[in-house]
Amino acid sequence: MKFFVRRTGFFLATLWAAVTLNFLIPRLEPGDPAEALLSRLTSRTEAVDPAQLAAVRKLLGAPDGNLLQQYWEYLAALANGHFGVSYTYYPYSVTDVISEAMPWTLVLVGVTQIFSFVVGTALGAWAAYRRNTRTDSLITLGSTFLGTLPFFWIGLLLIFVFAITLNWFPEGGGYGGGSQPGWTWLFFSDAFQHSVLPALSLLITGPIGWILGMRNNMVQTLGEDYARLARAKGLPRRRIALTYGARIAILPNVTGFAIALGSILGGTVLVESIFNYPGMGRLLLEAVSNKDFPLMQTLFLFTTIGVLIANFLADMAYGLLDPRVRRKDAT
Amino acid sequence: MTLLQVEDLSVTYRPRDSAAVRAVNKVSFTVGHGEFVGLLGESGCGKSTLGHAVLRLLEKPASITGGTITFDGRDVTRLGEDELRPMRWTNLSTVFQSSMNSLNPVITVREQFADTLAAHPDIAGERVDVDERAGELLELVSLDRGVLRRYPHELSGGMKQRVALALALVLRPRFVLLDEPTTGLDVVVQRDILDRLRELQRSLGFAVLFISHDLGTVMEMADRVMVMYAGEIVEDQPAADMVAGQLHPYSVGLLGSYADPRDAVVDVAFTPGRPPDLSREHPGCLFEPRCPVSVDACRTKHPELLPARRGRARCLLVEVAPDGSARTPNASPRDRSGTVFSADAAARNRGPADGEPILVVEGVTKTYRTQRALGSTTTTAVDDVSFALRPGRVSALVGESGSGKSTLARLVTGVEKPGRGSIRFKDTRVDRLRRRALRGYRRHAQLVFQDPFSALNPTRTVAYALSRPLRNHLGMDGAQARRRAAELLEVVGLSPAAQFLDKLPGQLSGGQRQRVVIARALAPEPEVLVADEPISMLDVSIRAEILELLDQLVRDRGIAMLYITHDLLSARLLADEVMVLNKGVIVERGPTLKVIGEAQDPYTRRLLAAIPRPGQERAPAMAGRSDGAGQTQSLGRPPHGD
Repeated sequence: MKFFVRRTGFFLATLWAAVTLNFLIPRLEPGDPAEALLSRLTSRTEAVDPAQLAAVRKLLGAPDGNLLQQYWEYLAALANGHFGVSYTYYPYSVTDVISEAMPWTLVLVGVTQIFSFVVGTALGAWAAYRRNTRTDSLITLGSTFLGTLPFFWIGLLLIFVFAITLNWFPEGGGYGGGSQPGWTWLFFSDAFQHSVLPALSLLITGPIGWILGMRNNMVQTLGEDYARLARAKGLPRRRIALTYGARIAILPNVTGFAIALGSILGGTVLVESIFNYPGMGRLLLEAVSNKDFPLMQTLFLFTTIGVLIANFLADMAYGLLDPRVRRKDAT
Repeated sequence: MTLLQVEDLSVTYRPRDSAAVRAVNKVSFTVGHGEFVGLLGESGCGKSTLGHAVLRLLEKPASITGGTITFDGRDVTRLGEDELRPMRWTNLSTVFQSSMNSLNPVITVREQFADTLAAHPDIAGERVDVDERAGELLELVSLDRGVLRRYPHELSGGMKQRVALALALVLRPRFVLLDEPTTGLDVVVQRDILDRLRELQRSLGFAVLFISHDLGTVMEMADRVMVMYAGEIVEDQPAADMVAGQLHPYSVGLLGSYADPRDAVVDVAFTPGRPPDLSREHPGCLFEPRCPVSVDACRTKHPELLPARRGRARCLLVEVAPDGSARTPNASPRDRSGTVFSADAAARNRGPADGEPILVVEGVTKTYRTQRALGSTTTTAVDDVSFALRPGRVSALVGESGSGKSTLARLVTGVEKPGRGSIRFKDTRVDRLRRRALRGYRRHAQLVFQDPFSALNPTRTVAYALSRPLRNHLGMDGAQARRRAAELLEVVGLSPAAQFLDKLPGQLSGGQRQRVVIARALAPEPEVLVADEPISMLDVSIRAEILELLDQLVRDRGIAMLYITHDLLSARLLADEVMVLNKGVIVERGPTLKVIGEAQDPYTRRLLAAIPRPGQERAPAMAGRSDGAGQTQSLGRPPHGD
């Protein structure tokens, strides 16, 4: 129990630090967002009119008061879910913009990440279980080979083959002409069509890390004395492979998986821009290239919080899976 | 009645990228119902491989390449895994060497009993009460039933090994293979477990194959002892017979490395050299290159394992009389000087007992704080300890693990600072040194580590390892350091040095590595040498060799040595003075022979009682073994009780 209480405390402290840093860092950066916006809006290079500038400030809700006051307001705004107005998608609020992009990424990246982990871990465990056989070589060498291919190249290749040459799937976007977002069958099947290629590109490279990590860990645990003793005890092969092999070998992968899950919120910039997918990754790219500070800041905050929560959950899971950790922390 | 019959069994390792090694070569033996058989041999002799082959647990690249294993009349040599499974644990169970690692770390002890019982419903019963059955066995090995709910990491090494033993007996097997079951445990704990084991073996009547490199233990526990060398059984005799007279010269050497530390004169033998490379064919006797009594025929004719006395021996020189009695070889030894050291008892001139101390430890206390759930607890590792080291003399610090002896080593070398008390080196307060000054001090006080396998960087050559202290402490340049490194290798007996300078640690044997570690400690010409269990990881036949080297260094260089050990025999051989440390307190101290011969403190007596005594008393064979002088390096000396 002690373990879980401590972990929770640690999580809250880190969360606070992340939120505070997120507040401080943009304020330490040079450059005035209002000026940037104004120059973009007017698309002129001449000096800006101070009155206009003041108006834009007001419009954006630019903060006033001293830093501490700002900090309190910031925290209060966060608590109420106010993240400001996006410059790029003015007059939509950041919350609106993000809530529109979030489901796309969550579904695409979330599903493929989880799937990659499950498939990768299972394949890795299988390779380890049948180590030094043809199955093992096929899995290990195959995934090593795929791992050497550049990711964007796989994406482009998929588009070329399946979208352009065979014309099976659309080449990009989240949904196509004719369908509008909504709870309709038409929309869902359309969105699914669009997600096949990006998902495929994620699924080709996704499991590789898990496969190799799991295989190597498990080959090691199966070589340990306890695994050999399990054989001597006459336990069924399945029990040895699962409880004396995979169960122990999976531990380091759990942490890795948590971090991977956390980064889902940030989306995958590369995939989303190759496939022109309307998710968080593309949003981030736009926010950065347009100096859309409120959007950027919120995206970063979301990513940080996502990683933190995922780490927290991983710690919890680790505590359940590995009794040694519980003990070390409790004493 | 034969329970296990092994005939002409060979096991070969075929690694992908190197030559095949025949680790076990045409081994034949039997184990009867309820018999306790010892298998003695040094690291790399193939004893564990043989054990795994018998259990049919070999994994690639090792495989059985010949011979048969028959268990209870059934040939199990080529049975598939599915056919073996029902036999496993119900007939043959085992306790592995490393108690640290033979239990699954992520499930409870109860679960490890439960899955064993569940895997054999025909023997254990379909609805067996796990708690009852496992609890009963834990009590047999003197453990509390509460242990069932524990995870392995919550148990001490000794407790884990008891659990492993209880687990091995849970299905009442007829045969148990014990592979170094107590190695790495404290002597007192070891004693306890072995006594318990022997009792259980007698009352439950299972047969045992007991694999160990620990000669004293094997001799004391086993009914019959087999000695293995380079993949072959070289001798097989009833334990009592073997104690009384060994047949094979290798066994003579092995038994010679054991002695009672309480005797006035203690003789310890060692067998120079190392086992042959088993990836090549050898026409003659495999032991011939190390054998002190070999003759020309030994080089060309491979001896067979022939009946001798009430057992068997594999030596051309064992002469068997028509009545079955046999004689140990007694040919004149070849000249082996140059490969061994000769320590003459009379010539041992150590520094004076009342000389000016070079290092004085006074009233030193060290406590460690451990974080706990609520607040913290403090452990006193070392409590008010005082002693002095004098040039040319050896002080032994004897104690079990956890007694605080390694903490003292760290204090003396300045790695840690004491909480109270002082450590003076000449006029310097070691406990007050900081950074640069501390580095300067380390030049004078060096450490020899316990594990020669991890004390050297495996990716760096010997020359590099030796050149670091030379360059750091003595400011030598590359060429100077290399010359000096070569000299140091000669000093520690690695000769010719040129052969060793560019080797990697992996290319050296354990004894050679420990010599390199010692050479490295000598490099900055220290005046104080702290040797922390320098021989405990080494094979028995070469331990004496390293002790000999340390002894010579103390004599030749006037080094003051703190010799840390749990082994009273080696303390007796090397030290002038002994301090017994128990829970951070020195409970007994004085001249070596006095402390060991007339132990007063109950703790010291317990340590003494824990030393195995084959044949109950000192074997006559060892007392009268003055022939074959080449192999018996007499380290003994008259008591010099200063």
